[in-house]
This record gives sequence, structure tokens and C-alpha cells, in this order.
Amino acid sequence: MKFTKTRKNFNLNPTGDPWSPWLHVDIALVLSTISLSVIGAFMVYSATRGNDPEIYDKSYLNRQLLFLGVGVVVMAVVAYFPYRRIRDWVPAFFWAGMFLLLLVLTPLGVERNGTKAWFEFGSFQLQPSELCKIAYIFMLANYLERFNGRLNIRQLGNALLLAVMPIGLILLETDVGTALVFIAITMGMLLIAGAQTKHIFILTVVGVLLAALVWSSGALQDYQQDRLTSFIDPVSSQTEAAYQQTQAQIAIGSGGLSGQGFGQGQQTRGEFVPEQHTDFIFSVIGEEFGFLGSVVVLALFAIVMWRCMRTARKSPDLLGTLISCGVMTLFAFQMFQSVGMTLGIMPITGIPIPFVSYGGSSAISCFVGTGLVLNVHMRRYQVV
Amino acid sequence: MSVASKYLPQSHRLRLAVLAAVAISLFVPLIARLWYLQVIKETAFVERAADNTTETIIELAPRGRILDAKGRVLVDNRASILVTIDKEEMASVASDDLQELFFDLATEISRSGNLTKVPQIEAAYRSNRYGPFAEVPVVQDISEELQIYLAEYSYRFPGVKTTVTTVRDYPYGSLAAHILGYVGLLSEDEMSSVALKQKTYLANDEIGKSGIELFYEDALRGTPGRKVVTVDKFNNILEINEEIPAKAGSDVQLTIDIDLQALAEQELARGLALAKQQPTKFEEEGVVIFNAPAGAMVVMDPRDGSILAMASHPTFDPELFVSGISQDDFDELTDPGNFLPLLNRAIQGTYPPGSTFKPFTAYAALDTGLIGSRGILGINDLFYDEGVFLIPNCEGGTCRFQNAGEAAYGDVDLRLALTYSSDVYFYNLAASFDILPGFDLESVQVAATSFGYGSRTGVTLASEGSGRIPTPASRREAYRENPEAFLTGSWLTGDTLNTSIGQGDVLATPLQIVNSYSALVNGGTLFAPNLGDRILNPITGETEVEFAPRVLKEIYLPDSFSDPILEGLAGVTTWRSDIGTEGTAYGAFKDFPHDLWPVSGKTGTSEKQVENALIADYGLFVAWGPNPEPEYVAAVVLEESGFGGQVAAPVIRRLFERVATDNVPSYLSQAEKDKLAKELVTRSALNPEIETEEIQNQERSES
Repeated sequence: MKFTKTRKNFNLNPTGDPWSPWLHVDIALVLSTISLSVIGAFMVYSATRGNDPEIYDKSYLNRQLLFLGVGVVVMAVVAYFPYRRIRDWVPAFFWAGMFLLLLVLTPLGVERNGTKAWFEFGSFQLQPSELCKIAYIFMLANYLERFNGRLNIRQLGNALLLAVMPIGLILLETDVGTALVFIAITMGMLLIAGAQTKHIFILTVVGVLLAALVWSSGALQDYQQDRLTSFIDPVSSQTEAAYQQTQAQIAIGSGGLSGQGFGQGQQTRGEFVPEQHTDFIFSVIGEEFGFLGSVVVLALFAIVMWRCMRTARKSPDLLGTLISCGVMTLFAFQMFQSVGMTLGIMPITGIPIPFVSYGGSSAISCFVGTGLVLNVHMRRYQVV
Repeated sequence: MSVASKYLPQSHRLRLAVLAAVAISLFVPLIARLWYLQVIKETAFVERAADNTTETIIELAPRGRILDAKGRVLVDNRASILVTIDKEEMASVASDDLQELFFDLATEISRSGNLTKVPQIEAAYRSNRYGPFAEVPVVQDISEELQIYLAEYSYRFPGVKTTVTTVRDYPYGSLAAHILGYVGLLSEDEMSSVALKQKTYLANDEIGKSGIELFYEDALRGTPGRKVVTVDKFNNILEINEEIPAKAGSDVQLTIDIDLQALAEQELARGLALAKQQPTKFEEEGVVIFNAPAGAMVVMDPRDGSILAMASHPTFDPELFVSGISQDDFDELTDPGNFLPLLNRAIQGTYPPGSTFKPFTAYAALDTGLIGSRGILGINDLFYDEGVFLIPNCEGGTCRFQNAGEAAYGDVDLRLALTYSSDVYFYNLAASFDILPGFDLESVQVAATSFGYGSRTGVTLASEGSGRIPTPASRREAYRENPEAFLTGSWLTGDTLNTSIGQGDVLATPLQIVNSYSALVNGGTLFAPNLGDRILNPITGETEVEFAPRVLKEIYLPDSFSDPILEGLAGVTTWRSDIGTEGTAYGAFKDFPHDLWPVSGKTGTSEKQVENALIADYGLFVAWGPNPEPEYVAAVVLEESGFGGQVAAPVIRRLFERVATDNVPSYLSQAEKDKLAKELVTRSALNPEIETEEIQNQERSES
């Protein structure tokens, strides 16, 4: 207690040394996210190096390490500017993001696996919906903060209007997975922002009904429906999606308790699981490091989520709490959805595992999110 | 609680707790599922991963070749392009589309010159010998152009693939077809029997079905290689876990000399053609037509029991069996109306040996002492042959027996009886065995059996016939089984008489006849005839196994027995100047270079008893030379052709004349003939005058 007090006094130093918050960096959060990223980079290498020991392909590894480096730098930059100052810029970021989401629907965007969600610059791709996640979290937090923890129906409606924009645009990309991430974030943040229980309940019911309506309306392509349902009975389903999930489960199952060892996964080496370096990277972890390795990775996620929740609780203001909760929800939902889909208990939605999956947009967006949580954590003693 | 969260009311703390609880609860299903997949179900998934990633590749090994005694290749391998249909890929194709595909495929294959019908493809495709994931061979031996075409238009033919396999190739065409035999797809029976063999067989493998291909299957069969590999999703091989290389089957070298074989086949065919030209005979019992449809000939080396040539007529083209024989063709080859071309008459045809049997009756008489100082006759004693023999105290059945044409030969001793082929002389011996006390009525049977009659010779070919030596016991047995075929079940003296001259129920294969004479002329060694000489390493050509002569037994045959018999038989082909008379085959051997290559022989003319039909006699002839230490024994049987001395003896004479004068023509393979023709054309282009002369020469030698 005494020690804490001393630190508090130190932080309240009116000299306002801009470097003083750095003494309060959440080392656990930084280490756990970087650990996940490093494990992920090695898994990407294992999944992409090919089978010729003479000329292992290191290009994916190198690029992922580059993204990681950029991500860590961006995280530091994001943490540097006090989040209460950044909020002034947030609408600009958000609307820029919305503009990019619109732009990606034009012929400038590139379609992959039926989803039009990327810009391409040489060998690099940019997925605006990844970057929008963080801008949206901040934007929504910025809006919800002003109601001091109680939302009436109108304020809730306004918040939903804010939510509908990115979700709608992303659905137009036919990226159901990412849209679900936005929905999860919105729900999590509305809960913390003080939406009334009955409103949340009604919202859930309306959401389910809407989903059912979309499902039966025929707006979804057959293959999209397959991807969403094949996990229920992958054996009888002859689709590519079912194949992907079956192969992923074979990979994970054959890993056993302790795994086949790094670079030794038969399924991985044979490239039996499509997208094994991105959305299905957990199959590589499961096969090569087994149950124990998988649990270690999940435990690292648990630490990340714990640190986010801790920051949310310790935040000096509601804005910090909302940001931390939004980021936590983002990580938690993506992790659950992506790992669950690889394990065959969730539908295939094509979203990456935060920090672990290959992909620059995802890596940078995750580190930006982490940087915001760090930002809040570092400034938790600063009086508003 | 720390200061920082002071701004939060109690309700918010609860909401944070709810969010945290939801987040934590997410881990429960994930870890439960991981435990289920990785710990509980690990074994099953490990197996499935292995199924995915390891593959066993069977590499077929070429079958060994079959060579003649001089190392010329009689059966070779050649590449053949095979069209297969992937059943797994076809499983999802609608049956209408499948029909269309079959039709298109049949059209394209037929267009390329390999006439193929839709039902043919369909039958192959539907054959239940292949599993649901197999690639089913449907058409073999397509052209390279068609292979390229099918690959180019693969979108039109989904699931249709081509692979190169090796099939049998016969450089000498149908030469020695019966000896070589043929290969074919494993039958279901064979599939279960080969399961125990060391060399792996697959469902679409070929196996020897007859002849040498069948007998030396184990040597000829290659050992398929096996590769267990780790593959990726696209079936690229990542690493080889286990590799057993394919091993080509061994070559089998035969004792057959193809030049002699070709000559034997030609002379057999010529003998039959000449026999056919005989005018129809009108007899009391009816009309006798010389159909001369079939025959067989065997040439053997009496010194070691190796077979030098073996011909059976009619013959077949083994090429028909390459890539599967059509049902129509197979029916033709197994049609009795076509005289069963697949039948190897040399070992499977059983004929009454007729008079060629007499030397063994003579042996029986000598061996039992019926002829000899204490018997009814001395070796040199004369017996008066009046052309007819009446069984003393005849009890029933035929009692009056006669020479052919009731010819009376007058005073004959054992030698002359053989030279003239006096039936009456041998009837007298047979009746004595039957009647005289102290003699076994089965003495002839005992002697014949010791020379190998009535049982398989053990030649290195499958499906050999065993012939028949009738005895009272076997007669009783036969009567019990089929009473209508015999007048009585008891053995009459007449039966002994018929047996003594190789008639009645006596049946022998041409090979048995040759083999028995071989023992007779080589001093009494009865061999199991060999067709395989050695097994060779297919790559180095080194001998892996050499087959030694197989002596079945040493027959008791002192010179005092063999000399009179062989002297008598030496007269068959010659003019006996001492007594001014000729042997039964003298006509055929007129002007034969006897001084250069002394030859002996024995004619035979036997009646094949067929119910309600009168058919021409079977002409037989056995001969050997050069005396006194023969290197060749040959026997020929011509069905429904007439007298052995007239129709059969000339066949062997023509063969032996070539052998005696070392003038057996070289038999060329098709490739050699083509090459020769090409050379002639090239040379004739340079010098037109040579052309006509050489071509004429060649034509002359071929005709």
C-alpha cells in the first residue's frame, strides 16, 4: 500500500514529464503479446517454408517479422500520445477508415476467396477492415463515454447507427467474420457503457432474428452457407470448407499431448490444411506442439485478456475503460472464433488469430490495440 | 481496490465482471475440444494423418523373357499404352454422362484404328475385380497419337488416364505357341492361390496361363517394387520412407531350337496337307475321308531327355492374348469344330499308339522269358505268320484277329516281325501271356508301364495327359462306371491281343511315345523330359539355375533285349538286301542318306474308335538317328490321315534329312525378315540386277 502511494505521488508530479508514464508500462501485456507474435512467426515459418531443406522459403517469416517490428514500433507510438489527446483525432481516423471501406468495394479493391477486402501494393496487402476495428473501438468509446455509464434508448440508437456503418460496409465485402467481430465489440462496449439489460436482451433477440432473415433470404452464396454450417457435420459435407476443417482436426488430433515437434508436422508439411499460415494457423500449433503447446498459447491469450480487463478496471476514466474493454473483446472474440473454427466447434468465418496468424494488417491492428490499452494503463494515475 | 477505479460505480464493476466471465468462459470449450481431439482421439487422428500423408507406390517389374537353346528371344516384352478409368473420379458422374463418355472414348479409340465397342469398355469398367477407388484398365495397346490426343482433350474425358505397361511380344509370331503358352489377367481362383506367393500380385496383374509361361511362372514373374513415400496434398513426394526396388523376372532358356521347331511345325503342317490330298476311300463299312485336321510332333534328345522341338497342329497366334483376348477369339480357339487350336496335342492329345507299341510287347516277351531259350520261341526262331490269328479255345468276343489287309508275312523272327509290323506274331505272344501257365497276362502292361506309358512323363509343362494302359482291373472299373460302353466288364483274351499291338484301350501322348523310345534307344534310361534348360539373370545373362537331366529310372535293358528289337526296327526304314525285302517305312526313306546318318523307326497305324462314325486311321511314326548312338528321337501323329508308313513317316524323313545334312534353315523373326527385305531394296536401288536374283532366291528358300 505504501509503495503504491509513493508511486501515485510520483505520477502526480506536476512537472508533467512526458516520459513519466513509461514507468507504468504493463510489462506483462507487452511480453505476452510479443510472445504470441514470436510463436506465430515461427508457426508461419513452419507452415510456409516448403519441403526442400536446401532452400527453405523464409519470405513469409521475414515479412511477418517485419510486420512484428513495425507493429511494436506503432504500439510504442500509439502509447506515447496520451489517449485523451488522441481522441481529438479519432473522428478523422474513423471517417478515413470508412472511406477506405468504401474504396475497397471499388475496382481498386482485390477479391480473395470471394471476399473483396484488400488493397494490393506489390507483394503487400492492406485490409482496411482490420485497421478500422481499432478506429471504431475508439470512436465508439469516445461517443459512449459522455453518458457516464447510463444509456437511454436514443443514445443506444445513436451508438447503433455508428455501428451500422462499418458493419454494413464490411458485409458488402461479404466478410461475415469481420462483421461478427464488429458486432461482438459493439455488444461488449455497450454492456460496459451502461446499456440497459432489457435493451441488450432485445438487441440480442433482434440480432438473431435479423441473422435468420438474412440466412433465409438467399443473400448468402451457397459456399458461404456451407462455410458456416459444415462444422456441424464435416464428414457428410463434401465441400472445400468441410475438407479444410477435417484436415485441420486431423492435424491437431495427430499432434497428441506433446506434438510432433517444430517443423515435423506431417499435415503441415504436406500442406493439407488450406490457409494454414493465416486463419488456420492453430492447426500448425496443435500438430507440432500438441495439447501442451496449444494450452500455452491459450494461456498467453488469457494473460493478454486479463491485462486488458485489469487496465479497464484501473482506468482513470470511462474512456479508458471502454477502450480497454473494446480491445479485450476484439482479442477474445477473434481468438475464440478462429481457434474454435480450427477445432471444428465454430463455423468458418475466415478471421485471423490475433498476433499469431500471418498478415500485416492484422498484426499492426493488434499492436495498435495493445498500444491503446498500454496507453490507458500507463496513464491510470493521471487525474482527468 | 485501487484509486484508479474510483470513478466507476458498483454496477459498472459488475458489468466488467460479467464481460470478464464471458471472456474466461470462452476458454472452456476450446480446452475441452483440444483435450478431446489431442488426447482422447489422438490415435485415430494419427492414423488418418498417416493415411493422408503416406502412400505406397507399386512399381511393376517386367516379366522375364523366354529364350531358345541358342539364346534367341522367343517371348519378349514391349511397351503398351493402356487406357484406364478412375472409378473414384467417376463415382460422382451421372450415368447418362458416363454413357456419353464411354461412347466418345470408344469412338476415339476406334478411329485411331483399334476397333472398340462401348459394351467392351463398359464391361471392363463394371468388372467387379476392381475396388471402388481403382483405376480400371479398359483398353490396351492404343497408339501414341491417341495417348497425346486423350491428354490434350482431358476435359472431355474426365477420369480417363493412360499409362504405359509392358505386354508380351512374340518376335517369331505363332512359332512354338503351344510350348510358350500365354499370359492373362489373374482369375479369381488364381488370385486366392497367389496370395501365398512371395512375389506380390495385384488385381490387374498378368499370370502365366499355359505352357512355359505357366510352368515357369515363379521364375518369369518379376518382383514388383514397393515405395512408401510421404506426400503432400498434391501428391508430390516429400520423402521416401521405404524403398524396395522392382526386380525384373528371370529369363528362361529352353531346350528348344527354333530352327528345328520351325521345321517341325512346317513339316507337320505339310504332312497333314499331303494326307488331306489322299482320295476318299470307299469301304464296306462306309466312306473314309482323310480329314487330316490335326497332329502333333515331338523331337527329343535321347541322351538327356531334353525336348528339341514340339509341334501341335492346328496352332494359334499368342498375340491374340496380348492385352486380353476377346470372347469371340477365345471361343474360336476352344471350339471342337476348329479342332481345339489351344490344345497342345503333343502332351495333351492321347492316341492309340498302334504298332509303335510293339517294341514294348517284344520287350515284355524278352523280359518275361516268353521269347528266349526257355520260352515258346527263341529270339531267332521263326514263326509262321499266315495273316490271321485265331484265339485258341476262344471264350467270347472277337476270336479272329488279322494283319492289316490280312497280309501274310510267312516265316518271321522277332526282328522281321518288327520290320514288317506283323500283328499275328505279337498276337501269338499276347495269347501266350494270357493262356500259358506261369506267365502274367498283364506282362505287356507291366513292360509298357516301365517305359512310362500310362503315367505323365513329368515334362516341364502343365496339363500333361497321362494316357492309358488298360488292365483287367481298370476294365472292371470302367465297366462299373459306364456299363453301356462295353459288352462285358471282364477282360478277354482279345483285349490282351489288342493291347499287345497298341490298340484297344491303349492311349498314349506323342510325348510318351517319344520318351519310351528314347529309353529304348539310349540303353534304358527313362527321363522326365525337360523343356527348360536354365534360368538366367535378366540383366547379366548369368545362369541362375541350370536344370539337370532328370532320370526317372533305369529300365532293365541288357543288350540281349535291345539288340534284336533295335535291329528289327533298323530294317523299317531300309531295304533288307540280305533277305531282299523292305521295311514299312522304306518308301518314305528311299534315298535317305543312311550311310551318313543311319536312321531307324517304327510305323504305326491306329484306329480311333468313335461311336457311329467311320473315321480314317491315325498315322504314327517314330524314328531316331544317327545310329548307333542316336541324338534325335522324333514321333509324329497325324489324325485321320491313313497309314503311318505312308503319311507320317515322310514327315520325319523330311525333318531328319535336313538334320542329317546339317541343312536346317534358319528361321527369321519378323524384324529380321523386315531388315533383310529392306537391305535387299537398298541394294537393289544401287544395282538393279542383283535385286531380281536375290529376291527370287529368297522366295525360293521361303517356299
